[in-house]
Amino acid sequence: MRKGKGKFLDKIIVQCDPDLEDLIPGYLNNREKDIVAIRESLDSGDFEKVRTLGHSMKGSGGGYGFDEVTRMGSRIESAALAKDVEGVEEALQELEDYINRVEVVFS
Amino acid sequence: MTSDNSTTRQPRILVVDDDSDVLALLAKWLKDEKFDVVTVSSGKDALAQIGITRPDLVLTDLVMDEMDGMALLSEIHRQKPLLPVIMLSGQAKIPDAVKATHLGSSAFLTKPVEKDELIEQIRKHLHLSGDNSNGKIPFGEDIIYRSSVMAELIEQSRAVADSDITVFITGETGTGKEILAKAIHDASPRRDRPFIGVNCGAIPEQLLESELFGHEKGAFTGAMTQHDGLFKAADGGTLFLDEIGDMPLDLQVKLLRVLQDFQVRPVGSVRSVPINVRIISATHNNLEQAVKEGTFRADLYYRLKVVPLSIPALRERPEDIELLLDYYLERFSRKRGEPKKSFSPEALSHLISAPWPGNVRQLINVVDLCATMNKTDIIPLSMVQKALGEEEGDLRTLKDAKHSFERDYLISVLQLTKGQVASSARIAGRNRTEFYKLLNAHNIDPADFRKPPGN
Repeated sequence: MRKGKGKFLDKIIVQCDPDLEDLIPGYLNNREKDIVAIRESLDSGDFEKVRTLGHSMKGSGGGYGFDEVTRMGSRIESAALAKDVEGVEEALQELEDYINRVEVVFS
Repeated sequence: MTSDNSTTRQPRILVVDDDSDVLALLAKWLKDEKFDVVTVSSGKDALAQIGITRPDLVLTDLVMDEMDGMALLSEIHRQKPLLPVIMLSGQAKIPDAVKATHLGSSAFLTKPVEKDELIEQIRKHLHLSGDNSNGKIPFGEDIIYRSSVMAELIEQSRAVADSDITVFITGETGTGKEILAKAIHDASPRRDRPFIGVNCGAIPEQLLESELFGHEKGAFTGAMTQHDGLFKAADGGTLFLDEIGDMPLDLQVKLLRVLQDFQVRPVGSVRSVPINVRIISATHNNLEQAVKEGTFRADLYYRLKVVPLSIPALRERPEDIELLLDYYLERFSRKRGEPKKSFSPEALSHLISAPWPGNVRQLINVVDLCATMNKTDIIPLSMVQKALGEEEGDLRTLKDAKHSFERDYLISVLQLTKGQVASSARIAGRNRTEFYKLLNAHNIDPADFRKPPGN
């Protein structure tokens, strides 16, 4: 199971398809990498890269059972399209918070 | 026939996505459903896999680096027009979906996709490339064949009938291109809407545009009333553009625009009208050659030729001839209320080996002619030869006709001069050397004309 980084925060329980148990840790790990990549792209002003990463998250989250990832991905995509740095950062913050707190239950 | 793919092994799905998380998820879902799954992360790899793993269906992402889903779709349909392709897109953009459908995509789904919806679509479209014997709608019941080459064509046609895919039919004159187009229409969801056929070569160039697209009142001299045009008349149905190769170049540009935008602009109008028409086009010409020669636009050609169907000539399927003869003799007797006639064995074998330059249309004419002219129940060889001879006479080449005229002419002149070459050459307006050459070419000996009759 994932380590709760934010130990003072409440956990977010998400139910996922038990068939996907093997894939979920890798999926969440990749989102952590996305967060780092988006921050780097923001620093270098590469909004297109930010947009693509947001777009991908939007497309994949729901399928794995993480509707929030899809929602956040969508926000990142639109904010990047509008070159809205604050908007991207805000969504990114929420995403990071979500990834830290999420606790997957397979049922 | 390609009907046993899905019964001898698990249907194989090729999944294409440059996002490894999506790829892993889709692969997992499909494997759980007992599909055989092959995954690749680019359009280029997908094309390579199609040749190697021969998938039964392709599931592809729309937006990818290098080759996107749309380019992949059009390349797949160039190579394998019947392979179902399901597109996945991050955005539900209507123009993309419309374009994909007309390029031959089977379905267009939006990400994130629901597992159940995806599986349902895959199962639905696998039927397209697989066994169609459970098809509820009969297909082309008046198309008569037993040959495997026709069976394959009918199978392909049936498979594309269900969608809006643009179909391009080639075949010699008289092979039944319009009949096939109508059969596709009748088996399609558009069957209750109009099927309109237009011969692009038969309508004068100036009229064709307004015939197709319509015109406003007063758009040109003689346009007394507003006219809807054939695209509008075929709304919701199918428009069959026969002899598309005869379409003038400037109209080709306009047709291309209609196929891109699904809108027509009547002559003299400033407004475009949306249309919902499936296009089936046909030609007996070699359009590839016309494209090379610049008389047919390449972009239009590729847009029309999404699914190419080629009808074999009758001489390429001789095993069907007896069946066709019998069918049309039966039809003739039913129409006339007369007992059914039949061909003598010699007549039959002559018919089976005939070259049939006019294909099935010629065969129907020959049957009708023989059945009308012959007073007895068995049609003899002589009657068949007569019926075929007339057809062939009409279709003699210019070279053959010239040759035969020249020979007859030389014989007449030599008869007149009683074989005197000098006088004959003078009459023919040639010098003696040239005249001798002509005689040699026709294997005529002037000496034969010098002999007194009877010797």
